[in-house]
Amino acid sequence: MISCIEIALKKELRDAEAFSLKKKADSYFGINIQEARCIHIVTIESDLDLHQLEAVKDEILTNPVTQVSSLNPLDIGFHWCIWVGFRPGVKDNPGATAMEAIQDYLGKSFGPDEGIYTSKRYCLKGNALVREDVEKLASELLSNTIIQQFKIFSIEEWDKDMGANVKPAKVILDHTPCFEVVSIESDEQLAKISDERNLALNPRDIPVIREYFLDSKVLESRKEVGLCQPTDVELEYISQARSDHCNHNTFQGIFRYKDMTSNEESIENSLFKTYIKEPTLKLKDKKDWVISVLWDNAGVGRFDDENNYVVTGETHNSPSNMEAYGGAITGIVGVYRDPMGTGLGSKLFMGSFGYCVGDVNYNGPLKPPLHPRRLLDGVIEGVKDGGNKSGVPTTFGQTLFNPGYMGKSLVFVTALGIMPSKVKGKPSHEKKTSPGELIVMSGGRVGKDGIHGVTASSESYSENTPAGHVQIGDPYTQKKMHDFLLICRDEGLIPFITDNGGGGLSSSIGESAMISNGCVVWLDRVPLKYEGLDMWEIWVSESQERMTIAVKPENLHRYMELSAEHEVESTVIGEYTDTGKLHIKYKDETCAYVDMDLLDKGFPSWEFDAIWISPEARGLTEPVISSPSDFNKLLLSMLERPNLASKEWIIRQYDHEVKGGSVIKPLVGVNHNIPSDASVTRPVLASQKGLAFTQSLLPWYSKIDAFHMMTCTIDEAVRRLIAVGANFDHIGGLDNFCWPNILFDPENNPDGKFKAAQLVRACRALKEACEKYEIPLLSGKDSMYVDGHLEGEFGERVKVSALETVQFSATSVIDDVAKCISMDPKVSGDLVYVLGVTRNELGASEYYESFHKTGLNVPHVDFDKFKVIYRALQKAIENELVASCHAIARGGLAVHLSYMTMAGGLGLEVNLSDLPKDKGRGRLSNEAVLFSESAGRFIVTISPENKTIFEKLFKGIASACLGFVTDQHNRLKIFSPDKDALIDLSMKELEKAFNKTFGDMI
Amino acid sequence: MKKVNALILTGFGLNCDDETAHVFELAGATSHKVHINALVSGKIKLEDFHIIAFGGGFSWGDDHGAGVIQALKLKNHVGKDLLSFVDQGKLIIGICNGFQALVNLGLLPGLDNDYTKRSVSITFNDCGNFRDQWVHLAANLKSPCVFTKDIQMADYPIRHGEGKIIADQKIIDTLVANNQVVFQYADTAGTPAKGVFPLNPNGSMEDISGICDPSGRIFGLMPHPEAYNHFTNHPDWTRKVQTLKREGKSLDKEMTIGVKLFKNGVDYIQESFF
Repeated sequence: MISCIEIALKKELRDAEAFSLKKKADSYFGINIQEARCIHIVTIESDLDLHQLEAVKDEILTNPVTQVSSLNPLDIGFHWCIWVGFRPGVKDNPGATAMEAIQDYLGKSFGPDEGIYTSKRYCLKGNALVREDVEKLASELLSNTIIQQFKIFSIEEWDKDMGANVKPAKVILDHTPCFEVVSIESDEQLAKISDERNLALNPRDIPVIREYFLDSKVLESRKEVGLCQPTDVELEYISQARSDHCNHNTFQGIFRYKDMTSNEESIENSLFKTYIKEPTLKLKDKKDWVISVLWDNAGVGRFDDENNYVVTGETHNSPSNMEAYGGAITGIVGVYRDPMGTGLGSKLFMGSFGYCVGDVNYNGPLKPPLHPRRLLDGVIEGVKDGGNKSGVPTTFGQTLFNPGYMGKSLVFVTALGIMPSKVKGKPSHEKKTSPGELIVMSGGRVGKDGIHGVTASSESYSENTPAGHVQIGDPYTQKKMHDFLLICRDEGLIPFITDNGGGGLSSSIGESAMISNGCVVWLDRVPLKYEGLDMWEIWVSESQERMTIAVKPENLHRYMELSAEHEVESTVIGEYTDTGKLHIKYKDETCAYVDMDLLDKGFPSWEFDAIWISPEARGLTEPVISSPSDFNKLLLSMLERPNLASKEWIIRQYDHEVKGGSVIKPLVGVNHNIPSDASVTRPVLASQKGLAFTQSLLPWYSKIDAFHMMTCTIDEAVRRLIAVGANFDHIGGLDNFCWPNILFDPENNPDGKFKAAQLVRACRALKEACEKYEIPLLSGKDSMYVDGHLEGEFGERVKVSALETVQFSATSVIDDVAKCISMDPKVSGDLVYVLGVTRNELGASEYYESFHKTGLNVPHVDFDKFKVIYRALQKAIENELVASCHAIARGGLAVHLSYMTMAGGLGLEVNLSDLPKDKGRGRLSNEAVLFSESAGRFIVTISPENKTIFEKLFKGIASACLGFVTDQHNRLKIFSPDKDALIDLSMKELEKAFNKTFGDMI
Repeated sequence: MKKVNALILTGFGLNCDDETAHVFELAGATSHKVHINALVSGKIKLEDFHIIAFGGGFSWGDDHGAGVIQALKLKNHVGKDLLSFVDQGKLIIGICNGFQALVNLGLLPGLDNDYTKRSVSITFNDCGNFRDQWVHLAANLKSPCVFTKDIQMADYPIRHGEGKIIADQKIIDTLVANNQVVFQYADTAGTPAKGVFPLNPNGSMEDISGICDPSGRIFGLMPHPEAYNHFTNHPDWTRKVQTLKREGKSLDKEMTIGVKLFKNGVDYIQESFF
């Protein structure tokens, strides 16, 4: 029987969800809704009797104080009603928790034919509303057809008894699971099959695959298990393992680099080995705090004698571009599994975000899958639900806007965990699988979701991209699993653990079985969401919230006991062996039987041509713009620019202090509304130590040269850490590359060679920066296809590529958090210093951007000189000489003095005459001084009594006292060397501009 | 001296158990993190503890009203034990999601000695969104609440999407009259926010941020005192350090007003039971 329970807030109460709908309808589309109410519908397919249904309705689903509910459609008036529900197979988290509650309350268990589904309907009143408006709201605001369906009812169409007539959104596959044997007579045939089955096999891999399966020894050994030609399960396994997402073919590839200016030619055999692995391993030898890098799900660094911290970061771009909420929540919940699957498992203690999106006010002809505004709304909400419900504080994050991200937006998510350095006396960062250990899958069940997610994210977005790889993460299920696994770890029950992310079991078992050198997997035992999945689908499904764990047979009982107590589903699905074979069975049949070392069988590296043309040779020059006469107006307009304006509304939605360790928050200052340089957290509450964390993104500089984009990004991250009191001798790095397609194609990617050269240069810069600043790369990931082919006005498709982007995250351990500092000037009379040299480096600056110009003078990093400043500053902070400190970043000196003024709530007077300058890169006009983005600089305030000792510390280092903090007025005054007031603005004016663009968003 | 045993609920999406356990230890108690199912199965008994903390988090994802399913499960399996725990004069504190669970259990507001009636609801913030923000709280000095003894003002963070406290006006009037309103959102001077956002971050009636039962031994609040377990948790601490330094003083790094709240509970048990 199917029953629908409708629940709504009592009429007299404010319906916040409906209110938000009204507001967005008006501001996004100019559609005026006079009144809106939201009704939640719970559809139950079960044999519950009326008495039980009433009990469920009253005891579980209705709050007697605030809600009304009925087993019949609620009689709430409207002109139009929109019903929105999930498509079959889409994860319905509220449906699952309702089921859990009902099972517990009624003491009944639900059979396979029973289920609970949630949906909503919105009752809209508005005399002027027409069907077209309502359809727009339904399709562009309330639902996304990839995961949801909607129905629209006018009042005339509404049947009061039938209501929205909601049917259970259940998956019926009506399919007997099977596997297929694939014929591989010729390369062409396999290529065709690859296309048809969406395997995304690289054409150069195809002969190697054929050669293996046609090898007589291989054929002979396969015969023993009843196999001959490859099965679809085997080809899917190879496809997953060889995908760019899992195998990092780009970073392992061969680059033929040529500099067209210098005619330098070189062969890069592996960007990863040369520029990431080698320098990091060298630093690991030098720095004893580096515990484990480059092989596990995340890198490990020492926090204190008893604990290590774990860090990793990912992107979740492709899915977020099609279903922003689902993609983002899956992204954050997914990256949170990496620390859980690092070493023997760590406890999450913080996360962060980075969003790169198109212009939220875009109204041109191109049609991205989701408008940037809608995409950003969805992404923000996805990370909110995913992060907050995981119980992990989101302590840092940035959002930036550039038209290039309309092709594909970027969603960066980062996760940090903490674990005892030893578990049962053994190092916790080591793990292995051994023959005889059972393969256990814990957490969620397997469905069709996410199939081919890995291969899809390795392709550019097009109209043919399968939508099936979009999922909705379930932080609740994962949080239960997180708590459970930590107890298992501490009891010594886990010799090996890894997460199921991209590639599903195919990756997690495929990779973990390499250690023991073999496995047998019983696919028929894998718990499914619904019947009818083929073997290959079970093997590669990316259904979320699952971990793969090795458990010794003697520990299985205890493991299962704890699993049951925590209500986490765990199932033995195989066994690790040392047979050298990956052996997959379904009941008695073998559906895959390949050698564990198959992937080492000489698969060819990818190859790229990389042609570098210098910015000068590309014709870039400094733009011709005369000095502005109204610097006040100019500064205010800079503060209004989306990339510099307040984005407080995003940070506020994220719990940034759960776990109780917050020391420096993401928003600081007297009004708690100015972005901090970095966050500091105490992951071990009984300790005085803190972990400092920050991130930088400066993709604009790639317009000139990705080499300098990389060095500036890393330098900024280092400065931000130093600004809160971090230790320069302990900086861990995390590189997240997001690059447009670099494979040259004369028609589809004519500038591929240039983009490949940009990548090589960025990697060279990465190595140089890491060596100079001694930053081991604890972890890193790449996402290589940030292009989109967007439909235009006349039915054409236009390729839009993102800027070459690297998000660099940095960590440091602070011995005594009591010495941390924040960026707000604090006391009237304090002196204002600028450290570091200002040059004419406006190239690709926010200032030039405001005139739609690029320029040439991209900021350069002088590592050796900057290092001296950073060490001196660290010492000054350690000696408690500094009252506030802030790294000068995007926007330049004037913008960052504005931030400090607002943060301090005090006046600031600064004279530029003594500003450390260098004319080596061109004349320093007033606008260059105010808005140049030269790296290596800070603004610092100190108490006058510390002047002598502070200046002694900075003797011979570029630094100067430029002014003071005052409570005599609350203005920012900046005087030019000839004493003219270039800037004279009140706090109110600054705040108004800073909050103008996004200030009314909550 | 005998130890005060504090039980901190865990599991099913609760997520403040670590810091709540830590703060109880700082307050002198022995903390025990106990999975809800260990109570349901009877493996662990409530009677062995002096204080129960219903902590923050997203129990069952908050999918059907914050704290609703948690309340239902506890009522269903250990409802009687909870009531006898209360009868023995022991303490219960509910924070954020835990407060939401307490009102759904009916343990709050506990009017007319009825500890099962749901008469107060904690619903969606007026601003329509989840919000993390430090708030100023003014304590009701006449309140019987044992946790807020000697506390006049406190700054704690709120972190919720559903924190707006509403009830029938009559119920609210009774709570006010009984001094069951323990904390109100206020400005820096301690004057109630009068509904002004963001001082009152969620639109709660009468600026209520925490209430107790008539005995003062069951206490629920939306802000998180356990998140102020260390002086560096306060958003203004770096500022205070500098301003005090110029006056030749230094910041009190000993006991935060967050820990103080829990210590009041622990002290009460020590005085009443040992």
